[in-house]
Amino acid sequence: MKILVPTKRVPDTDQKIKVSSDGTGVQTNTLPFIINPFDAIALEEALRIQEGASDEVEVITVGIGNDEYEKELRAGLAMGADRAIHVSTDELLDPWNVSKVLKVIVEKEAPDLVLMGKQAVDDDSNQAGQFLAAQLDWPQATFISKIELADSKANVERETDLGIEKLSLNLPAVITADLRLNEPRYASLPNIMKAKKKPIDSIPLTDLGIEIEPKIEIISVEAPSSIRSCKKVETVDELLTLLRDEAKVL
Amino acid sequence: MILSQVEPLASEAQLLSREIFGNIPPSHKATFYGLATLAMLIFAWGIIRRVRIWRLGQPGLKIDWQQGLNRFCCEVLTQKVLLGRGLPSLAHVLLFSGFVVLFIGTILVAVEHILQDLQGLPNTQPVFHYGIYYAVYEVVLDTFGLAFIAGCLLFAYRRAFEPGNIERKDLDWLVLLTFAVIGVTGYFIEGARIIREATPQPGFSYVGLAFAHLIEWMGIRPDQIDGLHRGLWWFHAFISLSAIAVMPFTRLLHVFAGSLNWLMVPKEMGVLQPISIEEIEETGQMGVARLQDWSWQRLLQLDACVSCGRCEDACPAHLAGKPLSPRDVVQDIKLHAEEVDRVTRRAKFLEKDLDEVLESASSLHVDTIQAETLWSCTTCNACVFVCPLGVNPLGYITDMRRNLIGEAELRGAPAQALQKMQRSGNPWGLPVGDRFEWAEGLDVPTVESNPDFDVLYWVGCAAAYDRRLRKVAQSIVKLLAHAGVSFAVLGEREKCTGESARRMGEEFLFQELAMENVETLNSHNVKKIVTHCPHCLNSFRQDYPQFDGHYEVVHHTAYLQELIEAGKLQVPSDAELQGKVTFHDPCYLARVQGETEAPRELLDSVANSPSARVEMENHSENTLCCGGGGGRMWFDDAPEERTGKARVQEALNTGAEQVAVSCPFCLIMMKDGVAAEGKDEEVKVLDVAEVLVGQTQPDPK
Ligand code: SF4
Ligand code: SF4
Repeated sequence: MKILVPTKRVPDTDQKIKVSSDGTGVQTNTLPFIINPFDAIALEEALRIQEGASDEVEVITVGIGNDEYEKELRAGLAMGADRAIHVSTDELLDPWNVSKVLKVIVEKEAPDLVLMGKQAVDDDSNQAGQFLAAQLDWPQATFISKIELADSKANVERETDLGIEKLSLNLPAVITADLRLNEPRYASLPNIMKAKKKPIDSIPLTDLGIEIEPKIEIISVEAPSSIRSCKKVETVDELLTLLRDEAKVL
Repeated sequence: MILSQVEPLASEAQLLSREIFGNIPPSHKATFYGLATLAMLIFAWGIIRRVRIWRLGQPGLKIDWQQGLNRFCCEVLTQKVLLGRGLPSLAHVLLFSGFVVLFIGTILVAVEHILQDLQGLPNTQPVFHYGIYYAVYEVVLDTFGLAFIAGCLLFAYRRAFEPGNIERKDLDWLVLLTFAVIGVTGYFIEGARIIREATPQPGFSYVGLAFAHLIEWMGIRPDQIDGLHRGLWWFHAFISLSAIAVMPFTRLLHVFAGSLNWLMVPKEMGVLQPISIEEIEETGQMGVARLQDWSWQRLLQLDACVSCGRCEDACPAHLAGKPLSPRDVVQDIKLHAEEVDRVTRRAKFLEKDLDEVLESASSLHVDTIQAETLWSCTTCNACVFVCPLGVNPLGYITDMRRNLIGEAELRGAPAQALQKMQRSGNPWGLPVGDRFEWAEGLDVPTVESNPDFDVLYWVGCAAAYDRRLRKVAQSIVKLLAHAGVSFAVLGEREKCTGESARRMGEEFLFQELAMENVETLNSHNVKKIVTHCPHCLNSFRQDYPQFDGHYEVVHHTAYLQELIEAGKLQVPSDAELQGKVTFHDPCYLARVQGETEAPRELLDSVANSPSARVEMENHSENTLCCGGGGGRMWFDDAPEERTGKARVQEALNTGAEQVAVSCPFCLIMMKDGVAAEGKDEEVKVLDVAEVLVGQTQPDPK
């Protein structure tokens, strides 16, 4: 069995993000980066499937981005992925184009399962997984908090506002991970050392033979207002009044 | 009646002595020697069996024998290691002293006998076993014989009627019975001998003399004495030899393993040995994965444990119902060691591949010790501190934790804390740029603004970032400024010391942080550090010297006390502490670093009366952990599962309105614990420095 885990490199969630001077993005020069936390959950799940399986399971992680991406791919290898594919480009792709790239990789690798985060915490688009499934014409399950694989089927639980939805999908499929699926492991030095010996296959985006067709144009980026005033209220009625009259949300 | 028999000692007519092997014909003697040899062989076999297990381990660390011997004499021979527990201590002291003295006495008799033989003297002509020496010998041995029997009886009483936590084995009864019988038959033989040989001045053997009277009272006729004496002698000899033979197979193994262990264990608590990257490259693993990865000394230490349960009683995690008992850790690993030994021998015998055979045996991780057990430990060192045999249960835990980290087995909140320490230099992952925010508006000198500082105040992550703890840091700098100390802080350049990472087993993250910090500290020529946190203190004292960081390090309470003593910091004479206060000792300050006085003196200096400060049930070195050490701070425990619950209860039981602490983790743990009990309105949790700053003039300007 083969599991493909696309991972995205995102700014460290613990850092204060500052808008870049031209107002079209964020300042990245001093920002530490991490694997998108939802992708880390997806990778962790792939590794758990691998550890629990009786037959051979290969876990491949894929990243799209500039050369600095290697550090995060190594982090994925340190967690336990068997190998990594780096689609190198300096361009920032929007979800549609990401899914186009992933489609080519999937056709090349022919995995039984694509496991990825439900969204990336930088732009929170929540589209790449769905686009990919549509382009591949594969079954998809999103916001998954539980996965069981049996006889080329995936039985999953999906978190919705109405409760837990149970689905059964035929493999191959695209599954996107939600927060409660698992808690990712901590990779320490011995793992990082082992990861150094694992292969990263670097492919220039231009070699994939796809046409990038931007669907999103960033007009401007602004930091949210940092002034938040708090008020302590004594009664529920008071709260309701405030919500209605001051916040105007009711 | 005894006195009436005392005659002048130097009576020439009758030599004050006794026969050795009196009444024992040469043929019997030969049989005795044969049996003695057999007993020694069985004994040796018993020891060799254990040595074989020890040899499964790796070459050990260098041993400081001189320190070991010193400690052995000062603490083991004096029984200091197990005093202070009432009846069980008394029982052991009696049995121990009786055993040692009787053993030495027996050796002396043997030496006398050998000398007689060598000089070809008959057994009525002693070489040194006569006169005053003999008199003293008899009195001493008779007395300690009583201690020996009393010890057996007390132990038996305790086994039968007292709850105690020691593991109970049927074999213990046999040992106690055998010992008691050896003692009593010894006196009977002495009594019979006094009658038989008409020993001069038998009053020196006063217990024996009493038994002589007893024998007479029992109506034994003089012509029966020889037979009785010989029969008793054989009985006594036989069970004594049996007792020696079986010693290594019973709990008494601790006599040897425990003594050896005391000679070898390092004295300091809280020290971890560094691992090098080369080691990892060579073995591909970190810490202890299999039993054989431990040093032979660590495997020997398993045999020292008598399963007395003291460590379990002292363990805060056990008390809180966590799946951890330090005693079980040691005993389970010991059983596992025996299994590995069996399997290894079988593999050798059947000429099978050892690794393959070991696969089928139970594993050290998971089968023997579960990860959950290892993660429950707060590394409070209570188990190490109380163990009367010098066993270090915590050492097994930290060694195995290292392996869990190496195998990427840690998940969830604590794993994230490590990740954050790595990325942002603090366990909360807060921005480096916010590290110095706590000092806003206080004009705190930095290493840049005051490069000629005398002491560096090491704030630590908790006090730098946590809103509540920032107040403590602010109090400390106010006090330092008030006392006119030339100090500085590193500000944003300070990073987590990595103490909790190391105790969690993440050695390399710790090393990375330590090396960066050492570089920063050395580049500013730091000589003296005042730490906010006892964990930082311990790390600077015990961990950093391993990485070229050598500084004079004091805890803030000790330093403040120094300032008061030197008259630099004045507490107004009318200073007064409202209500009662109790001090919670941090494990790493009180137990590991042995500093218990300074915080108390500070509190007393502002208390209006000596009775204002009250003690909790467990205090000073015996303090009970708040639950925040060893990385437990980063585990999300539900309030009812918190390790520090018992401690909070102890604090509330004192009725004090203020709980003073001197560690940031303790402050958070105690504060949250008090709040969870719904007592946060009545009981305030404060750092000693905060108590103090309220009583001195806070702002010198
Ligand atoms: S480790 Fe020490 S304290 Fe704990 S049971 Fe063994 S001998 Fe007793
Ligand atoms: S160090 Fe403390 S928590 Fe850990 S096993 Fe020993 S007594 Fe228990």
